[in-house]
Amino acid sequence: MTNNGFQHGSVAGIRIHVLPTKAFKTFAISLYAGVPLDENTVTETATLPFVLRRGTASYPETIQFRERLEELYGAGFGFDIYKRGDYQIVQFRMDTINDSFVQSKDSLLAESFAFLGEVITRPLLEDGHFRAAYVNTERETVRKKLEAIVNDKIRYAAERCIEVMCAGEPYRLHPLGQRADLDRITPESLYGTYKNWLDGAIFDLYVVGDTTPEEVEKLVAANFGRGNARSADYESRFTPVQVNEVRTVEERLNVNQGKLNMGLRTSITYGDDRYASTLMYNGILGGYPHSKLFVNVREKASLAYYASSRYDGHKGIGTIQSGIETQNYGKAVDIIRKQLDELKSGNITDLELNQTKAMIRNLLSEIQDSAFEMISFDFNRQLSGKNRSTAELLSQVDGTGVSDVKAAAETFQLDTIYFLTGQKEGE
Amino acid sequence: MESKTYERLQETLYYEVMDNGLQVYVLPKPTFKKTYATFATKYGSVDNHFRVEGGEETRVPDGIAHFLEHKMFEEPEGDIFATFASNGASANAFTSFDQTVYLFSATENIETNLTTLVDFVQRPYFTDENVEKEKGIIGQEINMYADNPDWRVYFGLIEAMYSKHPVHIDIAGTVESISTITKETLYTCYNSFYHPSNMLLFIVGGVDPEQVFTLIRSNQNTKSYGKQGQIERLFEPEPAEVANKWKECKLAVSMPKCLFGFKEKATGLTGPDAVRRDLTTKLMLDLLFGSSTELYQKLYNEDLISDSFSHEFNSSPQYAFSAVGGDTKDPGRLMERIKEEVSSLLESGFAAKDFERARKKKIGGYLRMLNSPENIAHEFTRYQFRGGDLFEVLPVYESITLEDVNARLREHVAWEQMSVSLVVSP
Repeated sequence: MTNNGFQHGSVAGIRIHVLPTKAFKTFAISLYAGVPLDENTVTETATLPFVLRRGTASYPETIQFRERLEELYGAGFGFDIYKRGDYQIVQFRMDTINDSFVQSKDSLLAESFAFLGEVITRPLLEDGHFRAAYVNTERETVRKKLEAIVNDKIRYAAERCIEVMCAGEPYRLHPLGQRADLDRITPESLYGTYKNWLDGAIFDLYVVGDTTPEEVEKLVAANFGRGNARSADYESRFTPVQVNEVRTVEERLNVNQGKLNMGLRTSITYGDDRYASTLMYNGILGGYPHSKLFVNVREKASLAYYASSRYDGHKGIGTIQSGIETQNYGKAVDIIRKQLDELKSGNITDLELNQTKAMIRNLLSEIQDSAFEMISFDFNRQLSGKNRSTAELLSQVDGTGVSDVKAAAETFQLDTIYFLTGQKEGE
Repeated sequence: MESKTYERLQETLYYEVMDNGLQVYVLPKPTFKKTYATFATKYGSVDNHFRVEGGEETRVPDGIAHFLEHKMFEEPEGDIFATFASNGASANAFTSFDQTVYLFSATENIETNLTTLVDFVQRPYFTDENVEKEKGIIGQEINMYADNPDWRVYFGLIEAMYSKHPVHIDIAGTVESISTITKETLYTCYNSFYHPSNMLLFIVGGVDPEQVFTLIRSNQNTKSYGKQGQIERLFEPEPAEVANKWKECKLAVSMPKCLFGFKEKATGLTGPDAVRRDLTTKLMLDLLFGSSTELYQKLYNEDLISDSFSHEFNSSPQYAFSAVGGDTKDPGRLMERIKEEVSSLLESGFAAKDFERARKKKIGGYLRMLNSPENIAHEFTRYQFRGGDLFEVLPVYESITLEDVNARLREHVAWEQMSVSLVVSP
């Protein structure tokens, strides 16, 4: 048991984390499967959940699969694929109504586990591999999703900035993989990847709701056969990167508004004792509407509608994003760099410090009102090996002074400036 | 203070109308750390032409409700975000077609934050200088949406359907329309629509209702509001038929975006009738276009739709329309296939077993929604402004019959009422 309220165990090669509570009207279930981010497997791993959601041994047709979810009072079912540090994570989610609110003859929790277990461990097979029609269609689905990234210019610019900045690292890869790999995917190759994934991925299963660890362990044992697999641990794959020179990249597309993105490197990651100072650094820089970026880029200079920063503690990267008139590029870059310098010099008022502490306190306290937020927070511990409750993090944030934030600021080095701008006249 | 208990939902709602007409609702959630509060006025982008009882008829620039929302955050002593931040509250606001909502979420200093919320919205401070400065910021917000193909295809559909009703005007207006906004026009709108009798305060979270009402009561008693008459919203008559059947917009996209929908002929529904019509329509659309339908699976397998294919229904007393679609490589072919498949369903109607399953799904979705304080506050306010009750939705779902849904299908899905909106690469 950890101080975040989750009780931890392990069954059938899956780590299990259960938080019994009556606070919600549903059971929230998350299954995380993590594998190292690798250019040879990233695309097939990303395609897997798309094929798994098409049909299983008991519900071979997609309509049957989806009708089954509707029978469970429209149980929420979905998956996400993302990067955490240099790992590729597939997260399956289910959100099922607690039986006490509806007249159901079966336990909806048990039915949900039966369903999820089947999706993961008993996919529809034909001639010893996935159904070809499903693989072909879902390969195209992944292709469309990769091609559609450019439609959302804000997201596209953010992804391109990371791609350029991390060109020599696995982190350059998009969590959905690479378009060039798609043509090579066959029902046989994908089934091979699936077997390796099922045996080799790190599985963490979370449940938040009106249940017990004993009940969940029984349900997992009954519904997830993972053979001889055992729960491995995530390993830190982080190596600090020294920046020698700021890289500047400009790209042109037909846009109404220029998208300015910056990438920074820090040696501080989630497991570090200075993590709280780094959260404070990001908060003062650009996490909130009282932060330096919002106040100076938007409120004072009137250059942008959004101007903010983010910190990714699993990768040791900070990012800054803003949307501006293309001719204001120079002005905006100067203002943003000035804010970075202000933090490095420790030019932080007590007001900024206290406001940021209050905002982070609020964010961390709110986590317990959402089942999936609690799950995400605890999963950080599995990823980083660092067992730190929200309460501990809160007290560390509260104890942070200007000198700590300044020290954190000194670890941040501007690495890349990426600007997506409009096409020149005549283009 | 009065209260109402909804046994099946295991919720109790407390409410009171203040002397000045402000409606206040409190939904205690004892297990929650956070409190979420919204302060909403029944005033949105469509209210651009109006008359307050005893006053003059007034026409204001497009986008002014949204502009006003931005400007409310400015106080003589600075930005109100800073005050919220000092008290650990995350604050925001949004403007829709028919309401403007100010909100915060916080886990501490609840009484201080509630007072801040109510006070800043009830204390306008506009200057020539701060109004001019905002034009640059909102200009960038408008440009940001101009680059967003999902927004463009959605507004394209509304523009195709509506020629007169201001629902077809972008909520933020245009760079040109906001250029004519002055502090005087902002005060005119503020004084017309921010009277407490046109507003609703909703608080959900770990709070004690009596304490909240005491606080709000004494806060409101320190402010003097005159009586305000009825607000008359003036709309030019909107033709029953759509303005354009087909509308295209050019923007670089990886694949065309195609959204179609049906413009409702009948308008004027309010209260429980509107709620019932909306829920029946949403159930019907799910039976028609949901991801477990045969139609969806066929189109998916024919590579005509993707995971982005979705549907919604949007309504007010003066307009109502559906919006269905997503990315497709071949909009022409998609629309042909939709017509073929939907026409045969118009003949046969839906099957009883599909209806029962879809209804279960909707009930489950409704209950799941009630896990989120944000959703509760937003949906409750929306229902209340229309004269409905969010917490009475379960019995409505249970009373809808297969015949109701089939009748709604044949009434709503009328081909001559359909518009199609596309975003395609130049």
